Amino acid sequence: MEIVEVLPIVAPILVIQIILMIVGLIAWTKTDETNGPKWMWLLIILFFSVIGPILFFIIGRRQQ
Amino acid sequence: MAMIKVDHLTKTFEGKNAVNNLSFELSPGKCVALLGPNGAGKTTTLRMLSGLLKPSSGTVSFEGMKEDGDIREHIGYLPQYPVFHNWMSGKEFLVYVGQLANLTKPQAIEQAEKYLDRVGIADAKNRRIGKYSGGMKQRLGIAQAMIHSPQLLMLDEPVSSLDPIGRRDVLNLMEELKAQTTILFSTHILSDAEEVSDDLLLMHQGEMVESGSIESLREKHQTTKIHLTFRENVDTYLNKLREIPSISEGYIERNEVQLLVADIDQARIDILAKASSEQWPLIKFEVSRVSLEELFMKVVNQ
Amino acid sequence: MMQWKTIFKKEMLEYWRNFKWVWVPLVFILIAIMDPISTYYLPKILDAVGGLPDGAVFEMPEITPVAALMMSLSELSMFGVLVIVLMSMGLIAGERKSGVAELVLVKPVGYFTYISSKWGATLLLVWTSLIIGLLTSWYYVNLLYGDISFGALIQVIFFYGLWLTLVISITTFFNTLFKTPGIVGFLSIATIIVMSIFNQIFSHKITWFPNNLSSHIGDMLDSGSTSGELWGTALVTIIIIVALLFASLLAFRGKEMAN
Repeated sequence: MEIVEVLPIVAPILVIQIILMIVGLIAWTKTDETNGPKWMWLLIILFFSVIGPILFFIIGRRQQ
Repeated sequence: MAMIKVDHLTKTFEGKNAVNNLSFELSPGKCVALLGPNGAGKTTTLRMLSGLLKPSSGTVSFEGMKEDGDIREHIGYLPQYPVFHNWMSGKEFLVYVGQLANLTKPQAIEQAEKYLDRVGIADAKNRRIGKYSGGMKQRLGIAQAMIHSPQLLMLDEPVSSLDPIGRRDVLNLMEELKAQTTILFSTHILSDAEEVSDDLLLMHQGEMVESGSIESLREKHQTTKIHLTFRENVDTYLNKLREIPSISEGYIERNEVQLLVADIDQARIDILAKASSEQWPLIKFEVSRVSLEELFMKVVNQ
Repeated sequence: MMQWKTIFKKEMLEYWRNFKWVWVPLVFILIAIMDPISTYYLPKILDAVGGLPDGAVFEMPEITPVAALMMSLSELSMFGVLVIVLMSMGLIAGERKSGVAELVLVKPVGYFTYISSKWGATLLLVWTSLIIGLLTSWYYVNLLYGDISFGALIQVIFFYGLWLTLVISITTFFNTLFKTPGIVGFLSIATIIVMSIFNQIFSHKITWFPNNLSSHIGDMLDSGSTSGELWGTALVTIIIIVALLFASLLAFRGKEMAN
């Protein structure tokens, strides 16, 4: 299986992952109050790709 | 002519009457304080007037409102702890609730700008509400309550959470708004009530204990107090004073003789005559009125 | 109507500010393409890691384009539904719990206006995400498995969107009953699970139950024609959605807006 062969398929997924992480980080800096320690969420966003940012969006922020 | 008429209003929470058989009327153009200690049922009353709570029994009627009319069109309400959408700016929020109160967007923007200025937070109008201080939120709260120029403005403990400066500002603001709308506000602090309101509704344990204008209440519970200070032998003079028939009660407080009298003119003549004939070493003679604070305490402790 | 638009627009603005307009569509794309792509590459991956032991015969069943697209729906029914419930469990409950509702509902806003505008805003977000997600999945299915017509895809989106609309309506209904988002989320999920169990037991008898939408959609793709059963199920779903909205209004009317 050649890398070149897989790239067109995998690239969009990678792009989505990266966008999610970046948006997650932006949201993280803008959030005043998080559920649980704020630095912990930074680690979650950075190290759990896809799931990390999504978790942060859904349960990480305290909304009003 | 009553603007709002509250008739036998009762609210029961889990078998307990938070508000019991409350009846009163508000006339237009007045500033009325709903005064009472914590737990008197003030917030519950305001929430029923604003439609947020449904009365267990009794009615609230607004002058000129149709049977099926929406009372919320005529009132502005500020809860004790207002919560906003923290992600919005102050101006955005005002325009939002203004439109909810049936203003068109241009009208809402105009009103928002006007009240941002009026309550003194125009500088912060584009900042996120999440960054506002408690005092600023309270002002924004008053602005959102006034946005649709309601006939009745209801404020729940508008100054109790503020520091002295913020409190001063909000009281001044209320003083200004009085010219524009009828105000009903709750407080547990008598001096706040005395300061801005024309009328008092005194509540205790869900019931109305007293109501009327501040002046009429003062008069009704009128007792006059005479304070006397002597150079020496306070006790002997107290005993002599007690013999005077126009004095109903006498005691010593902080080394000062305090006398409660019904007829101040008669009492003054009697006391001064005796003092001069017996050559009392009198240093101070002062007449004061029993304050509403004492009335408030008396009513509450009954 | 003015007020409806006001609340709807405020929700839209909120979705921008809290990035829902970004992450929900992205997540729907990922959910939709996850299975078709990984299934396609599974044999190749197995091969790459050393292949199968000698003698073992690993026959991948031939996967049709329809089966591949149905994988997307099946994943959406699992994770998509979960995302929808989690993100909308505070739709109304959150505002009531925080106390903002006290400021909003003291303005002369009709309760149905309040409920339906928020429901409508969620609907727009979910439908947009669904369309983007299924378009992406359709692209990959065409690329990896074979052709499915665009017309068929439109039908899939329409009928499957009804199912997700039902999910939003269930969550909205519980939002009007309770003001703790966690309870709203739990009860919504529980309801959907109970419906699915009910459907597994009775599906042969009650073919128009909303949970059958997916399988009817599969039949439609296979046969190339929309069956009466699919239309019937769609109609029943719409009726339940309307009933739920009505029930939400009744539930909300019975509530006190302050405690």
